[in-house]
Amino acid sequence: MMYEHFDNTVKGIQDKLNQDPEGINARKKYVLELSRLGRKLYSKNETIAWCGVTAPFDLLSSMGVTSCFVEFVGAMLASTQTAGFFFEGAEDEGFATDSCAYHRAVMGAVLKNAMPEPDFIIGTSSPCTAGLAIVENFAHQYKKDFFVLNVPQNYTKDAIKYLSNQVEELVGFVSGHTKKPLSKEKLNLALENFNLSSQLLKDIYELAKAKPSPVDSRLLRDFGVVMALLMGTKTGVDICQAFKDELNHRIKTGRHHASKEKKRLMWIQNRIQYPFPMDNMLDDLGAKIVVDELNNVTWEPMDTDNPYESIAKRMISIPFSMSTSERIKTMQNLALEYQIDGAINPCHWGCRQGTGARGLISKGMQDINVPVLNLEIDCVDSRNLAKGQIETRVEAFMEMLS
Amino acid sequence: MNKKIGFTCAYTPVPLIEAAGFSPYRVFPETKAPDQAGHLLHDNLCPHVKKVLDRALANDLPELAGMIFINSCDAMRRLSDAWHEARPDDKIILIDLPSGTNSLSLDFLSKEYERLFKTLLKWNNIPFSPEIISDKIKETIAKWNLLAASVKKIEETMSRDFFPGYASGLQQIINTVATQSIDDAYQMAQNKIEPEKTAKKGRAPVFVFGNLLFDPKVYDLFEDWNLQVSGTDFCTSSRFVTQVDTGLDDNIFKSLAVSYLKQTPCARTMDTSIPGSIAQRIVERAKQTNAKGVIGFTLKFCDPYLSRIPMIRQALKKESIPFLMLEGDCTTGSMGQQQTRIEAFTEMLEV
Repeated sequence: MMYEHFDNTVKGIQDKLNQDPEGINARKKYVLELSRLGRKLYSKNETIAWCGVTAPFDLLSSMGVTSCFVEFVGAMLASTQTAGFFFEGAEDEGFATDSCAYHRAVMGAVLKNAMPEPDFIIGTSSPCTAGLAIVENFAHQYKKDFFVLNVPQNYTKDAIKYLSNQVEELVGFVSGHTKKPLSKEKLNLALENFNLSSQLLKDIYELAKAKPSPVDSRLLRDFGVVMALLMGTKTGVDICQAFKDELNHRIKTGRHHASKEKKRLMWIQNRIQYPFPMDNMLDDLGAKIVVDELNNVTWEPMDTDNPYESIAKRMISIPFSMSTSERIKTMQNLALEYQIDGAINPCHWGCRQGTGARGLISKGMQDINVPVLNLEIDCVDSRNLAKGQIETRVEAFMEMLS
Repeated sequence: MNKKIGFTCAYTPVPLIEAAGFSPYRVFPETKAPDQAGHLLHDNLCPHVKKVLDRALANDLPELAGMIFINSCDAMRRLSDAWHEARPDDKIILIDLPSGTNSLSLDFLSKEYERLFKTLLKWNNIPFSPEIISDKIKETIAKWNLLAASVKKIEETMSRDFFPGYASGLQQIINTVATQSIDDAYQMAQNKIEPEKTAKKGRAPVFVFGNLLFDPKVYDLFEDWNLQVSGTDFCTSSRFVTQVDTGLDDNIFKSLAVSYLKQTPCARTMDTSIPGSIAQRIVERAKQTNAKGVIGFTLKFCDPYLSRIPMIRQALKKESIPFLMLEGDCTTGSMGQQQTRIEAFTEMLEV
């Protein structure tokens, strides 16, 4: 079923792109590549690894492994409005209803045999404890080998060395399963692609900072965190280039006002994954999301002479791996660079990692005079959605900003 | 009297606190302070963390010379973040705790424990020297191990027979070492090691596990409800009093790391070679303690435990061991609400 879904999506988008060969269509190309990744995951012809969010996907792709973080599937099930069946499956087995719905959805998919069986599993202790617990459940359920990358919170020499050694051990673990040693050339190529993509991302985010911004609330939604899946590949570079071209084109053709921009907003953490007219609502209110918290490059370029250390530093540099005060500093910098008027924090029900810091984030943003709207909402499970209440709160927030 | 060092997690090596010239003070989530933590963090967060933060916000704490946090789970990380905000003048250290138990993780934790000890010495204005390691740490660990041996002996007695009040007595000993000193707890253990009352029959022996159950009164309530606690696995019970094998490595911090990381782990620590091994461990502990049933008691919103309950339930079912799952909020009030369920469970065990 899932293979057919991704296959149909690939064909549908491909048809649309063929009808507009001169168009840039960055977002369509991006969704096309993610759908191709989904199709590969379900094709049964690949070496598959289910992973934690901060796994080194560039390294894995250089080793011939098709990998993906499990939350991606949770989000996809929500976006296609098929998650309800899987929530029930997980809850029937005893997974708590107040746990993170990304994880509950994907665990339900495992229990209902709707997930491709992996060859092995790679957990990461960052961003969250719940994510690691759920991939342990995967490993237990599938009876597959399990590797955990412990991402320390303190950015110290010992911590970097510890994680760098683990990345090196991961290479041995993966080689042991694929029966292929790591090719230094392939890794170098992946890291070079990663660096090219990173530079393009920086260019994209720089363009998005313009006032008025060439982005609309949709263009870069959940971009940074998902783009990591493609970053070590030539495809990833092409996608980033397409987004840069799109933004340059918008600026050149004066399409800054793709959506109104009376108020510039930051979106904290992830977007709402099921169909919810937030972007339209903001359009109607004359506001625009110009930056998502996770659309950011926090790492130095990868050093091909020290690949494992570079990857380790990158993993620790992600604000979710560090203390909340570091995360808030990053958000404050983004707020100032993008000249935002306010921020929306969808306090994803069940998320102890991101939502757990709700009050600290509000206070940190208030320190730089940026008001925050805390929306109590489950970003994946829409069964208890109080749409009217959310709309009223967004409207009130926009009035307050005015 | 030594100054106190606060801590919140069972992976905090108490012998290091005492060897650095401090007294341990585990900040239990027991307070009449108003609920304020949700404003700084979020309401859907572990009640343990919220109540400890409520204590900090309401200054419901003794004078502390410093605070140790362990990066054991998201909620604990958030507590450490919020503590900076609630008590900005406190000295704070956050120790990174690996999830796995491989050699890299053990080496790393050993360095983290060394960093902790050096920080504690600095807080107490004591210079670090090799003699401190051989004299102070080893001496404290020796006392700690005597206590751990006594606790183990009490547990073995508990698993064989039912002595009213014995389980709550054990919890008092453990709370004493968490909030006073190893010596005081050891003294108490010597007085309580032989049961004061005669063994009674007719109660249902049950193994109880979870994250936090530190109030001795709860164990008395269990007995009132016809239940014999034959064994426990909580971060506030005997798991906290980890025997330290000093012969494991020349480096004492490595010995501590191995002992703490490899012995009866919290749900958040895993053996990656056997995913889901917590389930099998609970089954084995239940059998070892002659339990006829198992009660899981976890605090709401505890992801490490709640995510593993389905695996545990499955493993117990396979062994035909009855299982009752309870969720609480760190108050005896919430436990009182469970009375009917617990009594029905013990009746079902057909003693």
